[in-house]
Amino acid sequence: MKAAKARPAWLTPEVLRHLKRVEYDFHVRAFGEEMARVNFLPLAERRRYVGDMVDHAVRKGVKFDKPALGVTP
Amino acid sequence: MPLSYAELELFYEGLVARAQGRGIACAITSGMACVAYGVAQATQDCDLLCTPAAAGEFLDLLGEESLHGQLPSYRGHLTPPLDARWMRGGWTSHFVWKAAGAEAYLDIFGVAPRGSSPWEAELQGFYAGPHTVAEMKRTNRGKDWPFVTALGVKLLEAGDPRGWLHLFSYEVLVQTAAKLACPADMVALRPVLGLLASGDERLEVALKGEMEFWNQLDRLRIRVHEHAVRPYMLAVKRDRCSGDPALHTQHLVRVEHAERLLPVNPLRQHGLERLIGEARAQAARFVAPGALEWLPDVRGCFIGLSE
Repeated sequence: MKAAKARPAWLTPEVLRHLKRVEYDFHVRAFGEEMARVNFLPLAERRRYVGDMVDHAVRKGVKFDKPALGVTP
Repeated sequence: MPLSYAELELFYEGLVARAQGRGIACAITSGMACVAYGVAQATQDCDLLCTPAAAGEFLDLLGEESLHGQLPSYRGHLTPPLDARWMRGGWTSHFVWKAAGAEAYLDIFGVAPRGSSPWEAELQGFYAGPHTVAEMKRTNRGKDWPFVTALGVKLLEAGDPRGWLHLFSYEVLVQTAAKLACPADMVALRPVLGLLASGDERLEVALKGEMEFWNQLDRLRIRVHEHAVRPYMLAVKRDRCSGDPALHTQHLVRVEHAERLLPVNPLRQHGLERLIGEARAQAARFVAPGALEWLPDVRGCFIGLSE
């Protein structure tokens, strides 16, 4: 994600470190340890992991499509 | 040989690149955008925002986009035409490529549901900005909510105070506030944040009230559209030409029926104030008394919806 053009004064290195800790703990609670690890991988590796996961699920018959209702959540 | 996720991702990004190259404002949103922003979601279909004014040009582009030799079709009888009038009314158009061994799905929005600012102003390459993606994730599906909070933290890390608007986890809010003061303009937009600043123990209940309210607002929004689409759906279903192999013919058939039977903007017809009031009343059935006292004013969360 692009950072804001000029870093605001409130975003000190200490605050950023704190946010990173809060973020990681939340990802572990919300998505589990494995997905938290994946979410903190570099983009290319994260995409590869998601790709492998989706491809495996599709081979096992999982359907990802949503119904076409003319309106989407 | 089924299409791999990597192949699909490249295909959709290529589609957006070609559209943007023709001057069409469009962006991938939802699950695929979440992966790009560091909140992995297993998804295969692509949700795309496209500026309604460019609906015709985008349809022309789709008509040229083959995948494994297959051109796209409108998907099902419920899908409205990709036309500025219905896109501005909050409808979604659905397309499918029936490639050998696999299908690729594309859902196109003109208006970002729950959007409070123009999505076109905040594109990040192929993707809608994280603020837009987070607003769109406030759905009636419980699984989407952790993604909202995760994107909120990402926004704060990028120096964007609007991240505060997306933190729905009590723990994350309290932990964030331990080192960072929530700005007054964010409290004004989201009153529940005032409880955080004052250390009010009702915060957790108020957060549940907020989420239930968004959940009900989305349910009702979908219900209004589903009710409005029925006569149109029946007409498209009866019309043999709706399944014509040519996308252009499928489109003309849908436009013809839509002009007679599909309300352009069912939400405005229903009334936004009424919709909001109904969502509030429904939410009150599921949360503790008083939990809805700090709801935001969501009248500004229908940006782009035609009058």
